[in-house]
Amino acid sequence: MTSEATTSRPGLRWGPIVMHAGLIIAALAMVFPFIWMVLTSVKTLGQLLNAPLSLLPDPFTWDNYINSWNAVAFPLAYWNSAYIAVLSVVGTLITSAMAGYAFARIKFRGSGVLFVIFLATQMIPKQVTLIPTYVVMSTLGWVDSHLSLIVPAMLVNPFAVFLMRQFILSLPIELEEAALIDGCGRLRIFFSVILPNLRPGLSALAIITALDAWNNFLLPLVLLNSPELFTVPLLLSQFQGQYAGVNYGLIMAASALSTIPMLIVFIVAQRQILNSMASSGLGGK
Amino acid sequence: MTSKRSTILAAAAAGALMLSGCGGSSGQQPAPSSGDTTAPATVVWSTWGSPSELKRYEDFNSKFKEKHPNITVKLQSVPSYSDFHAKLLAQLTSKTAPDVFYVGDDKIGQFVDSGALLNVTDVLKAPNAVAPYDAFNPATFGAATNDDGIFAAPNDVNPDALWYDKTALKDAGITDDPATLAAAGKWTTDTFLAMNAKLKAKGKTGTMFWNYWATHYGWISSQGGKAYDGDKFVANTDPKSVAAVDQLGKLFQDKTFVVADTLPSGAGADSVFISHKAGFFAQGRYTIGTLKEAGKPENYDIVDWPSPDGTPPSTGLAASYLAINAATKVPDAAKLFWSEYLSAEGQKIRLAGGGNAVPSIKGADDVVLDGYPEHAQTFLDMRDRGFVNYAAEARVPGLSTDIAEKKFLPLYQGKATAQETLDGVADLIAKAK
Amino acid sequence: MTAQSAGLPQARRRPPSWRRRDRWWGWFFVAPQTIGMIVFVLIPFTLTFALSFAKWSGLGPIRWIGMSNYTDQLTDPVFLRSIVNTFVIALITVPVGLGASIVVATLLEKLKTRSIYLVMFFAPVVTSSIAVAMIWQQMLRADGMISEFLATVFGITPPDWLGDPRLALIAVCMVAIWSSMGLNVVIFLAGLKNIPPSVLEAATVDGASAVSQFFRIKMPLISPIIFYSTIVAVISSFQTFDIVYVLTNDAGPDNATRTMVYHIYDVGYRSAKFGVASAASVILLLITLVVTMIQLAAQKKLVNYDL
Repeated sequence: MTSEATTSRPGLRWGPIVMHAGLIIAALAMVFPFIWMVLTSVKTLGQLLNAPLSLLPDPFTWDNYINSWNAVAFPLAYWNSAYIAVLSVVGTLITSAMAGYAFARIKFRGSGVLFVIFLATQMIPKQVTLIPTYVVMSTLGWVDSHLSLIVPAMLVNPFAVFLMRQFILSLPIELEEAALIDGCGRLRIFFSVILPNLRPGLSALAIITALDAWNNFLLPLVLLNSPELFTVPLLLSQFQGQYAGVNYGLIMAASALSTIPMLIVFIVAQRQILNSMASSGLGGK
Repeated sequence: MTSKRSTILAAAAAGALMLSGCGGSSGQQPAPSSGDTTAPATVVWSTWGSPSELKRYEDFNSKFKEKHPNITVKLQSVPSYSDFHAKLLAQLTSKTAPDVFYVGDDKIGQFVDSGALLNVTDVLKAPNAVAPYDAFNPATFGAATNDDGIFAAPNDVNPDALWYDKTALKDAGITDDPATLAAAGKWTTDTFLAMNAKLKAKGKTGTMFWNYWATHYGWISSQGGKAYDGDKFVANTDPKSVAAVDQLGKLFQDKTFVVADTLPSGAGADSVFISHKAGFFAQGRYTIGTLKEAGKPENYDIVDWPSPDGTPPSTGLAASYLAINAATKVPDAAKLFWSEYLSAEGQKIRLAGGGNAVPSIKGADDVVLDGYPEHAQTFLDMRDRGFVNYAAEARVPGLSTDIAEKKFLPLYQGKATAQETLDGVADLIAKAK
Repeated sequence: MTAQSAGLPQARRRPPSWRRRDRWWGWFFVAPQTIGMIVFVLIPFTLTFALSFAKWSGLGPIRWIGMSNYTDQLTDPVFLRSIVNTFVIALITVPVGLGASIVVATLLEKLKTRSIYLVMFFAPVVTSSIAVAMIWQQMLRADGMISEFLATVFGITPPDWLGDPRLALIAVCMVAIWSSMGLNVVIFLAGLKNIPPSVLEAATVDGASAVSQFFRIKMPLISPIIFYSTIVAVISSFQTFDIVYVLTNDAGPDNATRTMVYHIYDVGYRSAKFGVASAASVILLLITLVVTMIQLAAQKKLVNYDL
């Protein structure tokens, strides 16, 4: 971790300059759309139409924020998205660590076949089963209910099962064997030996699952009807398209309102997030 | 446990639905919640629209609740028009559809034929109806009716008026005002095309049209042709129609007219119109919102479509319909909501102050005549003379869109002749049957 | 990779007494995910497969029509176009996106303070795809900033990024790369940092240049990560939907950006041709399977597991 290969080799003085220049340009290209979004969101429509090239707002206006905040229920959508994401993460961590543990450490009849089925279902895109999924949800009575988003997120994640299995395989088996010989049950071992040692893997999985849940669009679009149940992407999509009118400052204000909370969370927790993404290795074994 | 219970519930619901389907007219059930209209009930209704349009609908909801405190009204909405109908269909399939809902004019026939809509003939023709059948232009019911009766009513309509930009016309050296010419009976096709030619000579677009049925059939009708005779498509055998379509195709091919759908992305046609790069734009009353947002509404006015001799023609009316779910559990409350929504008073609430459409019912016309645009009366005249999409076409899902995209677009792009196009349309219609 | 690790040879010995109850515990631990898979994946998928031989519009009765949904789809130019578009997206976004990520990760690895860069590269990853698409849609509009900039500064006629059928697909790829690059950079960077310094020191002593060191030593050592990321990137590029749906307003001009998943959504959900859409779904799944098999086969030749 600490040993960094330094570049100060003689005869390569241009290298670092070019490298930095390239990185800075690339990094600016990554954040420019966000800057543009914020600048556009505080411009008046007149300026947007008459001076599309001007970068800075003149005059400055909060109207777009006020109008988009008043047009739809942002606070409710933040809450919906947040609690769905939290429940999805907690559920996914528990169920996929459990399944991963079974596949990694427990010999039981059918485990090989079952694992292959899990791997294969990873390849079925959700969109492929959109219509039958709707049928299943309506049979369960979950159309227009958050259950239709939370329960599948908690119970269906073959990728997470695979990831957890790989992590558990990499744990030294001696940890559990001692406990087993002491007569500890599987359940106790899972909670007191496996889960604590799985922390890096779990935190990476938590981040990926939270992002997926937060971004989920197609299923909420199809399954939710009542505005008070809408998630943030669904709310945002209300501003899109032919009915949005010409004022794209308004659209950018709505985009900013929906992206900035997540960006703040990320910037505050960037060290933890980036480290756990990095240490996960994401199954590259 | 839960799933078992839901299965039982689902079975019970299905049983109830079958019962109500079989004994719909006998009405021997006690029907506790639907005995009289003041009984507590929740009416769920749905439509499409942008956040600002939804505000207006919520206004209607709260006015309705004030009047009927026992009835709770809930609005569901989808931003995109095509997603709205997809969701509605999925909801109807899974018995989770709202009690009252909008249906677009290109989808209404399909929903009527599916049996999913409640027959509202009695509601419209009741002696004390707040939205009586006679107060509507009967031509606007279109595919919402069939041999069994009426299954929906237009909640509002949008005549495709020709909006014009006075600044752009002045830039192109045009001194005559189209609406003034129209008032004098001099709004002829030749005058209109001469203006378009001047606009084009100045590097501007003459007129922008959306590629849909109201454009091609509106043009055929305004130029003296005939697209349909009853339920039979006749444009390909009617010389006047072929000539009109030929003229229309040539105008698109030389870029005097532009298909708004194919304009550069972004806000597209709206931006072009606001930045004075086009003279005319065939659109409905919803254009007011765009123009007011952009800040210079006084530069714009509306006029009829031109005709060869200057008499105002009959042109296309975009419509949307309000229907009641045949499987609603609160039929009386749903009917009450439906009637009040369609009534003159209800339409006034939604359409006042630069609303996005023209009332479909008599008695609410003054919301259109609120001073903008200057010749707002034209909207009402166009509504009274106009026609909605032909029922024969509107009954087949996707047919109107196919005709526009697969047949008329190639004509506009110069890939087909007028005769080929119309023969192709006749083919598509024949195949659809 | 996965099939191999699934069947890792284990020493055969008589199970100790505590293992007897294990098969019950095994099923207990896999139960939640297995139930979820059955209810929310296998049952819907079986329904999809069954419906692919039927004609059903949701409201009317289901009619069984054999293979004709498949023949209908395989001769439908719109569907074929969506297959081509999907492959074009995969062929552009996977190599360009992963290649750029490797380059950036390699450069970042040499820096002492890289966290500010990482934050900037990762920001699009935490942004919802709908917001990403809406921001880019407005930036790329024909009367928007990028076009005006090109017109004013370089005096060229600005391209209509989202309205020109040839450019719209490129725009989709560009946005897809932009929004996913940060994740790959972080993963590759972690891989590069895990290379033992001793391996690199040996190469430096041998006098290998930075470039040849990269291709001869680092690339092979992180090849398992590259391979894994490739599989994930291909599968997710095959599922492109949100960007197409918003950025190019319903699959762009003349279906220029219609992807297979969008096609399934459009035909199945919007047009309510459930049978036809189901057939398209089965075809998409088969294509995904075949492509993944090819990748798994290629892995044996290209990937180095010696580390």
